[in-house]
Amino acid sequence: MRKDLVFGMAGSGGDGIVSAGDSLLQAASAEGYHGVMTKSFGSQIRGGESSCRVRISTDPVLNPGGNLDVAVALNWEDFLKFGAELPVAGTTVVIYEAATGVPENQIPLVGVTPLQVIAVPIAAMAKETAGTERAKNTVVLGLIAGWFGIGAVAVMKGISRKLAKKSQELVEANQKAFDAGMAFAKEHPLKADMTIVPSEGKGGVKLLTDGNDMCAAAAIFAGCQFFGGYPITPSTEIMQFFTNHVWKYGGAVLQAEDEIAGIGAAVGASFAGKKAMTATSGPGLSLKSEMMGLASIAELPLVIVDVQRGGPSTGLPTKTEQSDLFAAAFSAHGDVIRPVLAPTSVADTFRTTIEAFNIAEYYQTPVIILSDQEIASRKETLDPIDTSQFKIINRLAPTGSDLQDYKRFKQTENHISPISHPGMLGGTYLASGIEHVESGAPTNSGSVHARMNDKRIKKFDPLKERKDLFEITGNPNAPLALVAWGSVAGVCREALQMAREQGLDVKLMVPYLLYPVAEQTYRDFFASVQKGLVVEQSHLAQTFKVLRMHLDLPKGLQSLARSGANPFLPGEIVVALHHLLSELQRSHEGKLQPQE
Amino acid sequence: MSATCEFQAKDYKSDLKPIWCPGCGDYSVVQGIYRAMAAIGRPPHEIAFISGIGCSSRIPGYTTAYGFNTVHGRALPIAQGIKLANPDLLVLAAGGDGDGFSIGGGHIAHLIRRNIDITYIVMDNQIYGLTKGQLSPTSQKGRTTCTSPYGSLENPVNPLLYTLAYGAGFVAQASPTDLVGMAAIIEEAIRYPGFAFVNVQSPCVTYGEEAQQIKGLKAISESLKDLGHDPADRLAAMDLAQHYGSKMHLGVFYKNPEPPATYDAQIRERQIQLSQGALPKERILDLFIKK
Repeated sequence: MRKDLVFGMAGSGGDGIVSAGDSLLQAASAEGYHGVMTKSFGSQIRGGESSCRVRISTDPVLNPGGNLDVAVALNWEDFLKFGAELPVAGTTVVIYEAATGVPENQIPLVGVTPLQVIAVPIAAMAKETAGTERAKNTVVLGLIAGWFGIGAVAVMKGISRKLAKKSQELVEANQKAFDAGMAFAKEHPLKADMTIVPSEGKGGVKLLTDGNDMCAAAAIFAGCQFFGGYPITPSTEIMQFFTNHVWKYGGAVLQAEDEIAGIGAAVGASFAGKKAMTATSGPGLSLKSEMMGLASIAELPLVIVDVQRGGPSTGLPTKTEQSDLFAAAFSAHGDVIRPVLAPTSVADTFRTTIEAFNIAEYYQTPVIILSDQEIASRKETLDPIDTSQFKIINRLAPTGSDLQDYKRFKQTENHISPISHPGMLGGTYLASGIEHVESGAPTNSGSVHARMNDKRIKKFDPLKERKDLFEITGNPNAPLALVAWGSVAGVCREALQMAREQGLDVKLMVPYLLYPVAEQTYRDFFASVQKGLVVEQSHLAQTFKVLRMHLDLPKGLQSLARSGANPFLPGEIVVALHHLLSELQRSHEGKLQPQE
Repeated sequence: MSATCEFQAKDYKSDLKPIWCPGCGDYSVVQGIYRAMAAIGRPPHEIAFISGIGCSSRIPGYTTAYGFNTVHGRALPIAQGIKLANPDLLVLAAGGDGDGFSIGGGHIAHLIRRNIDITYIVMDNQIYGLTKGQLSPTSQKGRTTCTSPYGSLENPVNPLLYTLAYGAGFVAQASPTDLVGMAAIIEEAIRYPGFAFVNVQSPCVTYGEEAQQIKGLKAISESLKDLGHDPADRLAAMDLAQHYGSKMHLGVFYKNPEPPATYDAQIRERQIQLSQGALPKERILDLFIKK
């Protein structure tokens, strides 16, 4: 029996493979399991290849998992297009469409002998039972229920709910297809028992959603009342969620004429006193950079979500990467600090988004949330979140005495000035992208510019002291270390568990605050570190370089960096840690031993 | 609109000294705006005045309203965000011809089709003044400037025809040659419930050509009222607008006699309608519950 199963399925666009993944995850969630689902597509709208990866576990799930336990190929051509996204190993059961005509001992996977290979006449079974090949995905779900023990009841409940609106006949046809899949599995038992451990009814209320919807919901919870944006993959669902819901809370949405107008409208809404945001992906972030500079000098709160995809330019629009860190931290000209935060999962997208608004409002600054395609589009089962534990911060309003002789950019001890907004009597001022004196009046003075730069940069000092924006796990004095953020953090959390089980003395740092670089927090973390890895999906190793720019890194700290759309596997990180340890042992001539 | 009280033109004038050259047409424009604001009577703190970059875009700072001197070409996107965030505000946008019809030229069409209640004043001087005399999108073909030393090879944009063609509900032209008329036009534009566009022929005394100075403009100026033009007649307005550049028609080209509902008014309706029975925002995650 298994506590954890990773399914990877691929087919053509019309095969319904992603909807099968959805049904499987929903059913597992209804039965009380934890789960994560990621999707990956070609960039075609219809047809083309599509795939999903569903991980189901009795314990909370940290990431979409490494090698597949179960691979489902509705055709080989599409399956193979996903390469390292759907890795098959010696432990994988491979299920594929018999109509492909490929013999079981000749499947086109080079250099690997799967645990078991089974050809199933999926299309023929669908046709025979439901009268249409379109029920292929339901047959697959039946096979999964039969072989792995997930969703025998809940899957069909979900499917019925979905199809009942269409017709009862359709429900019955799918029930037959599902039963046929189950029956096939019973008649052809697997060599190894791969059924999942029963969830012991730990079901209860669970949430099921993806990173984009979670981000938008968190923004509304934080009090965001305006969204200005432009459609761009893979961030568009944030705007869609807003336009479905924000009106109910007195807010508004503008689908603007372009990326610049989208952020421009958000800057305007913030000037008007409302919490505002925009969302985009790489190409849009490039276009928005001038407005980000404006929000910085005019000291206007604003949240910008960048759901990263492969770049530069159009790059890989439907695949994940972590290559926008430089752009997030450094785009837009001039001397400026712009905070950059990154969630690591759907669950913590809630907290990270609220933090982004709190930081934006408190420091009167644009803040970037660096999400990525994987977190944005992956679905996770979540335990209910107690929203009352989250504090909401609003911008500092002027007091009556501030408004007697109002100075919008007044020098204060913490460099944060009370901010008025149109409609507020006594608070009128000129906001501008031009350098200004305390009242807001434009100036060309070099000395004023130096003072104002000082104000705008020093105000972030306390942010760099915030330890709660970093997650550190493992032995605090460990000689080995991992650093990872965003969707890669989840892979490293699992690698850390595995490595510690194997006796390696290792710790992990996951920064939620990427910029400004919290120098002291890293120095403290690196104090014990002799060897380590900064793991990231960026060919240029942007994170490693940003850290090196701000800190003297330990000599043994190395970069484990690669281009996007090639996921890291927990196992390979553990192997890399073993290498580091043996290097360390050599250099210490055996003085340092691994933990018992 | 909220309650109004008595205001005079000087109540809208700030202490900042304009950076404009002596004799610049923009001095008259800001005077026209003070007068129009006083006639309307909204207190300065209920007005948001947004501009882009250029000589003329300094104008919000010379008023006592909330001002925002933004980035080049982006007055309109920011102004619309302000209006949608708080429809109770009176929102004005202003800038030059380069700001509105070159670098920011893509925005005006969308403001017009959305019909957001913003008044947009372009100070059109057919030249880039702040960068010292380059060709602008409204410069006449053949014009020699420092970036067209052998004469411009391109035709100018026609701001009047452009805005009329996109369906703006209010399109007018004014000039410092008639300050009283300009104040009245700006006032009428602000009072129009929807997007309103006013093109002001505002001469650049430093880089403008002789023919575009006050004297030259007076010579080609004609009052639309005197011509007997009916501002409800959109096709006649478009006909007249074709003479942009050769004649200077002053007055209202077009004013929709039956103004449709504005975008901002419809937002209010939608907010009220959809807020009925909505989950409190503290419970927004309930949307994700799967049973």
